Amino acid sequence: MRGFGDLESVIMQMIWDHGRPVTVRELFDELSQDRVIAYTTVMSTMDNLHRKGWLTRAKEGKAYRYTATASREEYSARLMREALAGGGDTEAVLSHFVAEIGGEESKVLRSVVQRLSDRRPR
Amino acid sequence: MSAALLMCLYALAVAWCLPGPLARLTAPGMSARLGLTAWLTAMAGVLASLVVALHYLLSAALAGWSLLVEAVCQSVTGRACSPLVYRGALLEIPLAVAAAGGALAAVGLAWHYGCWLQRSRHRTRAHAEAVRIAGRALTAVGGAVVLDVPERAAYCVPGRPPTIVLTTGTLAVLDRAQLTAVVAHERAHLSGGHHLLVALTRGLAAGLPAVPLFTRGAVEVARLTEMRADDLAARASGRNVLVTALLTMGTGTPTPSFALAATAGNLTVRVQRLLEPPPRARQIRNWLALATATLLLAAASALLIWLCSSLARSG
Repeated sequence: MRGFGDLESVIMQMIWDHGRPVTVRELFDELSQDRVIAYTTVMSTMDNLHRKGWLTRAKEGKAYRYTATASREEYSARLMREALAGGGDTEAVLSHFVAEIGGEESKVLRSVVQRLSDRRPR
Repeated sequence: MSAALLMCLYALAVAWCLPGPLARLTAPGMSARLGLTAWLTAMAGVLASLVVALHYLLSAALAGWSLLVEAVCQSVTGRACSPLVYRGALLEIPLAVAAAGGALAAVGLAWHYGCWLQRSRHRTRAHAEAVRIAGRALTAVGGAVVLDVPERAAYCVPGRPPTIVLTTGTLAVLDRAQLTAVVAHERAHLSGGHHLLVALTRGLAAGLPAVPLFTRGAVEVARLTEMRADDLAARASGRNVLVTALLTMGTGTPTPSFALAATAGNLTVRVQRLLEPPPRARQIRNWLALATATLLLAAASALLIWLCSSLARSG
């Protein structure tokens, strides 16, 4: 376990895998099967995720039932859009390897490679 | 006063006349690191000149302040001053206005810049955190996270810990060696602190969008950091592997429209310089030109600041 952030990730994966509203108790029982963890840790982590907008919750009896606000695919797609938006509307500083390119440049590039490999066969 | 004017003129000249020629020198990316130094030196020189100019403007205005106050007080109490005092006071008014305007603009810009940097840091951190929650850790590559999306993308997010983000689309098209090259490229960004250079220059461009040195400079700095990371990745994984990785990532499958503008025109240059580096003599010429430009820029700023300080001392 890498730290507190990692537990958030683990809990979100579990909630996505469940695909239905879950209580802190349910996740705690599952988690404590393969690691030593305190109930309050699970509770506060889920509370954090709720505060950050990853989870919604509805009261049921004395406990809350938590649901993910979006599927993992939706989150991933959203993050990818943010990453590919570049310096424009997001101010996040990300260093890309290369973003996918359009047909025009793709054509130019292929011709460059073609020209080079014609001249200097490898 | 003349010192302030001199510094302002120098800053304006560099900010408007330099970007074109300097961009021509750095565009092919023959010496990416030196190119970065040249752009950063030019920007730092202009900023320093403006700060020094403001300093002289403020001290000139403050020196004349007593004259202005004296004239106003004398007039209010009904005693007349000598015409010389009035004439002097009249000259002090535009100076005071210019100094106040300059100081206000500087404070405003510095505030704007600080806020921009803070927002940028916040967004970057939030993105990294979200990626670590929504993605899966890739055990084969330390610190890498895979996002489950079909688009091909690879990028790094600075922070503690730094995160390298890959996508399932990327893993599907790259072989092991290419993946290593891509990761080496991202690691070069992280260890070189490239995000800092990009954030600092992009913030300047956002705060002063009318100044070519800053807008052009931000674009060139971003480009040069890519080339610098390419150089290091090529050294680690081999040129050919890196080039095939670049091409596979760039042209693998039909592409979503929102990704189009991101690096248009950039990839061709990067591939070309890797596959077909210019002759040694041209590289050396380019290196010498860039080194001279950098030294001249640094020397000119320093010399002017020194000249102005002696000018101000002598009167």
